[in-house]
Amino acid sequence: MNPLGDLFINITLSSALQISILGFIGGILSGFIGSGGAFFMTPGMMNLGVMGPVAVASNITHKFGKAIVGSKKHGELGNVDKRLSIFMLITAALGIKLAVWAMTFMFSKEGGAKGAGANLYISLVFVIVLSVVSLSMLRDIIKSRKLKESGPSTKIVDFLSTLRLHPIIHFPVSDVKVSLWVVLICGLATGYLAGTIGVGGFIGVPAMIYVFGVPAAVAAGTELYLAIFMGVFGALNYAYEGLVDIRMVLLLYSGSLLGIHIGALGTKIVKEVVIRLVTSLIIIMCVLSRLIAIPMYLQQLGMIGMDPVYNDYLNTASKSLLYVSGIGGGLLILYFVFKSVIQRRKIQKSLSIGILNTAQRAA
Amino acid sequence: MQIICLSRGSYEYSKNLAEKLASKTGYTCISREMITDEATAFGIPVGKLEMAIMKKRPLSEEMSIEADLYKAFVTQYLCEKGLQQSIIYHGRTGHLVLPGLSNVLRVRAIADMDDRIKFAMNRLNLSWEKAKDYNELVDEDIRRWVRILYNVDWDDPSLYDVTINAAHLSAENAASALVQVAQLPEFMVTPVSKQRLEDLLLSSKCRLAIGKFEPTCDLKVTVRADKGNVSVTYLPRQTKEAEMIPKALKDIKGIKSLVCTIATTNILYIAEQFNPGAEAFDHLINIAEKWNASVELVHLSYDSKQEENGDNISEKRTKSKEANGGILDDMEEVDRLKIAGCGVQESMNKLIQVGRSGGFHSAYGSSSLVNSISRTENNSLIVVGDVFHSKGAAKKRLKRDLISQMADKFHVPVIGTEDLKSHYLFGPKQLISLVVSGVFGVILYLTIFLQQEPILKFLSSGHIPSNPMYLKIAAAATLAVSVPIIAHIIGGFFENILKLAKLE
Repeated sequence: MNPLGDLFINITLSSALQISILGFIGGILSGFIGSGGAFFMTPGMMNLGVMGPVAVASNITHKFGKAIVGSKKHGELGNVDKRLSIFMLITAALGIKLAVWAMTFMFSKEGGAKGAGANLYISLVFVIVLSVVSLSMLRDIIKSRKLKESGPSTKIVDFLSTLRLHPIIHFPVSDVKVSLWVVLICGLATGYLAGTIGVGGFIGVPAMIYVFGVPAAVAAGTELYLAIFMGVFGALNYAYEGLVDIRMVLLLYSGSLLGIHIGALGTKIVKEVVIRLVTSLIIIMCVLSRLIAIPMYLQQLGMIGMDPVYNDYLNTASKSLLYVSGIGGGLLILYFVFKSVIQRRKIQKSLSIGILNTAQRAA
Repeated sequence: MQIICLSRGSYEYSKNLAEKLASKTGYTCISREMITDEATAFGIPVGKLEMAIMKKRPLSEEMSIEADLYKAFVTQYLCEKGLQQSIIYHGRTGHLVLPGLSNVLRVRAIADMDDRIKFAMNRLNLSWEKAKDYNELVDEDIRRWVRILYNVDWDDPSLYDVTINAAHLSAENAASALVQVAQLPEFMVTPVSKQRLEDLLLSSKCRLAIGKFEPTCDLKVTVRADKGNVSVTYLPRQTKEAEMIPKALKDIKGIKSLVCTIATTNILYIAEQFNPGAEAFDHLINIAEKWNASVELVHLSYDSKQEENGDNISEKRTKSKEANGGILDDMEEVDRLKIAGCGVQESMNKLIQVGRSGGFHSAYGSSSLVNSISRTENNSLIVVGDVFHSKGAAKKRLKRDLISQMADKFHVPVIGTEDLKSHYLFGPKQLISLVVSGVFGVILYLTIFLQQEPILKFLSSGHIPSNPMYLKIAAAATLAVSVPIIAHIIGGFFENILKLAKLE
């Protein structure tokens, strides 16, 4: 009998270590890719037996503290468009509210094992959204290698960017003019995904770059700034429902706040195309990991007649695939960083080649 | 050999104005379209670049190299022409193509939107609404182009010397007025501005040569030139290809020396007097090594009259220029720079030895300093060293003013050398912070894990429907307040650990 009731798992030293490692790898991926790393941490926690809504709630709470630290630095560099954040926040808050409502509804739904409905719902959204993201990234890499161009050129995005429905709002920091309606739609989608699977940045950042035309650095800074408010709003909503596990938040921080710096170092020395390739492969493996877990939830809900014995196998397979993707990706990034540090210490002297005479340099 | 650059806010009016100005002055008129055609013939895919920016796509590494090459091509073209004859250039970024040249007259020509719509309706046979949308889209594209290629706002008035409004001034009269303005001493060629033009020409030639040489064409480099001394910085992952840079530049005339440095970013070090033996200089090198940055020295100097006559340096500088067109000042400054032992050469040698050299340039007075720094360059930090050393008690205040002026202008941290250690290196302050955050962190973890049952019971109050609302609100508020504090404590601890390990 769990003294903490049926909502929270009993954390042993082993599971604490695993959550901390999840945070560390999530942090490395987050620093390297520039997203929150929730696509790895949320399913990782679910594989450890944490209920989907608790995993999502704890992750969104963890993210908002981290966003405060990150956006402060972006703010100092002038990379935060507060006006754009405020406009997006209007509907992002609505999106989060919708996500929390849907999650609570699925969680409280009777029938099957406790939380299986919510777990299935999270997994389905996860698989659909991240499949689109990762496949379009892969497509973009293949296309950009052929055409020497970048950017996922989807028809929807092109259509949205040409929409000039009035009122058109000017955002001075980003120096762009965008239809209010487009901003509100993107805000809603960002909020909903942030509230459901904790990956609002996967929609928010590309939307700001490709649809609004915001410079990439400003998009990243603005998303982090937005993440503070979306995070605090999401965390407050989930905390009000009593779904946040503070121990998870603490354990995630113990890894992620170190990993994020290491991941960011990796981006300095790896080619942009490699970053995108590593990112898309990791996401695809995370998607596959979640896909494997779906029959388990279907069985728990009584929707398929599978032998419950297979649930353990499926969970192990899902967990293994997730760990392989995360640890593999993390190790690869660590290798890049380690290689760069060695290289930096090796090449202390500049490659100084005098075509004529260096000593003739004028003062 | 005068240069007038016209930034076109309205194509028809600006073109007309440039042509009228050319006929009045006898200067050669060069349009953006002429250079674009030449650049395309040279092998730079300008059309593709424009399309990528129009489609709001962030530039890939390959396209950003093409953007660099295009900028270098424009600079080379204008510098070559500008050194032979007086020129008038008109294009969307007329005010940005020759950075750091103080004698270029930068003009912005704007027109009333209604007039622009009428022009577009006649030229393209469009309806009023479509012509309006067309003009708005063109403006938006130009804004994006300027932002991506030059990292500045197209509408920033501080980037122009004169703005001409077509609604108030005909092209004919505007051209007559500009002829007068162009005769002012501020826009005359001086030995220093001529040298700067030659430096720009050399650096752009080098950039193009690296981009067109097969083994180095994929390098993302920054090239600077100062009186024939060329410095090239490249990314750490491109070490192998960078070995071929000297080969790429072997046929370029005028290179006295070449320094290639690995750098992902750049630190600007501004001072009147450099001391490579000082502790602060070692701190700067330590930071550059940690960040994989090159250090570019900027020598700041003032003329003797300014040093004697109080604080308002930029104003005095202008007055002094009015008297003699700036020519004598510049001559004196060049001579003085050569004679004075300001420690530049020694500092450069030290930076070359440790592989952190990012080149050198000089600026005369605060306003020239601000203008000489390109906002498009990848600077991560600006360090202000020994400046205003002849100002006595006012030195500190003037330095503080300069730091805040630069912080406003460039969106990068600007800091005095005295604060380098405490901000960016591991010292006693960081040690105390590390210990304090470590102790707090341990207490935090112990408290939460030893008392997890009551804490979780309280925080999960919302999960039990029968609990009163105030309890649910209190639980949510406690989390919202405590989580940022926890993040700050743990984040601060790791930040200091990484500082200690020189792994920022």
